[in-house]
Amino acid sequence: MKQLYILVAMLLLGISASAQDGRSLYNKYSDYQNVEAVYISPAMFRLIGKIPDVEMEGESVNFGPIIKSLSGLYVLSIKEAGIADELARDVNTFIKKGQYELLMEAKDNGEATRMYTVGDDYFVNSFVMISRQGNEVNFICLDGTIPREQLENMVADAVKED
Amino acid sequence: MSRLSAEDLERISLDTSIPVPEELSGKVQAAVRKPRRWMLPAGIAAAVAVLVSVGLTLSWNPEPQDTFDDPYLAYAEVEKVFAKISGTLAYGAEKVSESEQTLDKLSYWK
Repeated sequence: MKQLYILVAMLLLGISASAQDGRSLYNKYSDYQNVEAVYISPAMFRLIGKIPDVEMEGESVNFGPIIKSLSGLYVLSIKEAGIADELARDVNTFIKKGQYELLMEAKDNGEATRMYTVGDDYFVNSFVMISRQGNEVNFICLDGTIPREQLENMVADAVKED
Repeated sequence: MSRLSAEDLERISLDTSIPVPEELSGKVQAAVRKPRRWMLPAGIAAAVAVLVSVGLTLSWNPEPQDTFDDPYLAYAEVEKVFAKISGTLAYGAEKVSESEQTLDKLSYWK
């Protein structure tokens, strides 16, 4: 009987752990009305990786190397208060369970943005950005093996550009 | 037997003059106990099966469909996302730099 209890406990732990990640949040909210959702798969990132460096109009920062290290991108943009609150709550739970570290918090003209990463000293395995302004919540989740050095270079380039 | 009423059956059961075969109680007990041997493992197996199926249903997390078919459009979207991220990071870095400059000025006048 003890073995049964252990099995049940493990199963329930497994369910709660797998229920919260970028993909599950995307699957939960992308079909709602008034939700803008973008998903880019690992296969599409492999195709993007084959594109020669493209100079985007008005952009002087080269994102090519960092894009090649990505395996998934989930974007959700919600402007409806009830659903936005629910997403913000779910993201908080996901951040806590995934042991993400707060990278930065910025507040500007009523918009609060938080960025989180999870990984080791050399690589970022997941990056999450959530911003909120009034009833609007934007969620971005990047999965991959992003060298921290490239992320720092991107920030340095962006600061120079300003 | 089926024609007897409940009262008749009760009267017969209380009638001690009717002999009860010695092996009858043993046979009845054996018949009652036999199914219990397989009921516990079957019950456990059924419970586990239900839990596993509930678990699989709840954790079912299929890969979503790509928003873009064209890698160039996907690339453009990724760049847009990165521009937003780097813009926010740059804003944060700028504020840190401003704070450092203020602290430097304050330490100069001390």
